Amino acid sequence: MEDTRRGTVTSLASLFPVEEAQKAANRVQGAMAEKRAELDHLLGFVADNNNLINLVHKLPEELSHEIMVPFGKAAFFPGRLIHTNEFLVLLGEGYYAERTSKQTAEILRRRGKALDSQVDSLEAMIKDLQAEANFFGQTIAEAAEGLVEIREDYIEEDTHGEESKSGPLKQHTSDLEKTEANNEEYTRMVARLDELEKEEELAAESGNDNEIYEQTTEDDFHKSVSPVDQSNNKSIATESAEKHHNPDIADQLNFASLDLQSNVGEGKNAAAKKVKFVDHTGKPLIHHEEKTVKATTASKSEVQHQPSQPSFDSHKAFTGSIVEHTENLKTLNGQSSSSTSSQVSGSQPSKPVSRFKMQRR
Amino acid sequence: MSSLTSAVRDLQRELENKTNDLSKLQKDIAKNHQVRKKYTVQLGENELVLKELDLLNEDANVYKLIGPVLVKQDLAEANSNVRKRIEYISAELKRLDATVQDLEEKQNSKKDAILKLQQKIQSIQTTKGKA
Repeated sequence: MEDTRRGTVTSLASLFPVEEAQKAANRVQGAMAEKRAELDHLLGFVADNNNLINLVHKLPEELSHEIMVPFGKAAFFPGRLIHTNEFLVLLGEGYYAERTSKQTAEILRRRGKALDSQVDSLEAMIKDLQAEANFFGQTIAEAAEGLVEIREDYIEEDTHGEESKSGPLKQHTSDLEKTEANNEEYTRMVARLDELEKEEELAAESGNDNEIYEQTTEDDFHKSVSPVDQSNNKSIATESAEKHHNPDIADQLNFASLDLQSNVGEGKNAAAKKVKFVDHTGKPLIHHEEKTVKATTASKSEVQHQPSQPSFDSHKAFTGSIVEHTENLKTLNGQSSSSTSSQVSGSQPSKPVSRFKMQRR
Repeated sequence: MSSLTSAVRDLQRELENKTNDLSKLQKDIAKNHQVRKKYTVQLGENELVLKELDLLNEDANVYKLIGPVLVKQDLAEANSNVRKRIEYISAELKRLDATVQDLEEKQNSKKDAILKLQQKIQSIQTTKGKA
């Protein structure tokens, strides 16, 4: 896939030269260190402020405190601290105000709030710088490893959804082969999906059948296309994607009655169906190994099972019993299971059970 | 050839002069930034003081620190002083802003002139080389 697309390969190292990225990273680191120092400074202020508030709160508890008064540069003498409720608070710019302890505490608290907002803004800046540093670190690492930026043209294709991606795909150059291998699988899967889609479209034609089929199945209901099958003998052949297609077929073979088909309301191409059924079974389903066996046996015995039905069931794995429409319960070939057939016969209830419930094999 | 070389030399001298001017301009701009920062801080502080003064009662005592002396001041007087100071600082800031703008413009024009000179020198050198 990839080879058909045009694209450009640019080495990351050319876009972001390693040395320059390194320099930028260092610069960012320097700025971050600065901010961190400022942050520490501010946090110191905050701590001091809190201590002061506590002190201001404690002082008025006593009328006077016994203290050692500093005298000059290197001397103290014992003294008393009086007027314990009067504080001269520095408002700024050389202005002092006389306040009580409570008022002082208020002033200090307001100052603390202003400090906190400053701290927050600084922290935000540091976070941004951190993000920048991370980005630089990443680019340096990637450029050093030799990562390559690959751009491809985006070509609109309905079937292939995302094969071609426009925009840069980063891949290691060495892994290109692996990618191609993956692409092959992808192509295969996409091809199958396409088939299933077609089946669905066909199924859309025969609408009702699907309900019945849906009733049954337990396990793998890989119904990517499920109900589609019914109507499409042709499509059936093409749709190999259905895993459990066979089991459905087998079940249907059991019924082997045109009536069934009519009851279900599916298309009646009895004769054609038979043929198709065989084809159906013969389809190269993706996972149809086991089922194939069943299917083949079933096909033989089956007369005309509506292909639509089987196709529907093919997606399901039958592990349960087969419930049949009363009318359709005609021939249950022993291959699958007498038990189931008996079950089926016994369970010919009026309720429209899917015939696709096949017995376990 | 010699005329070319002398022309180149002249141009180079001019280039040097211009670069010196540019560096001077850049220094001026940096100083301006610093002064601006100082003024901005002072402005913030003064606004805080004004807020606190407003919260004071009428009878509260306000003192101003002038040198080593704490002088008692009238609340109203203190208020008006602080307000005046704020106005002064804002005016200074605006003036500084204008100066910075001016300096930046001059810086840009100098840069352009230098670029042109450099290009001229280069072209002359290439022609000299070819010749």
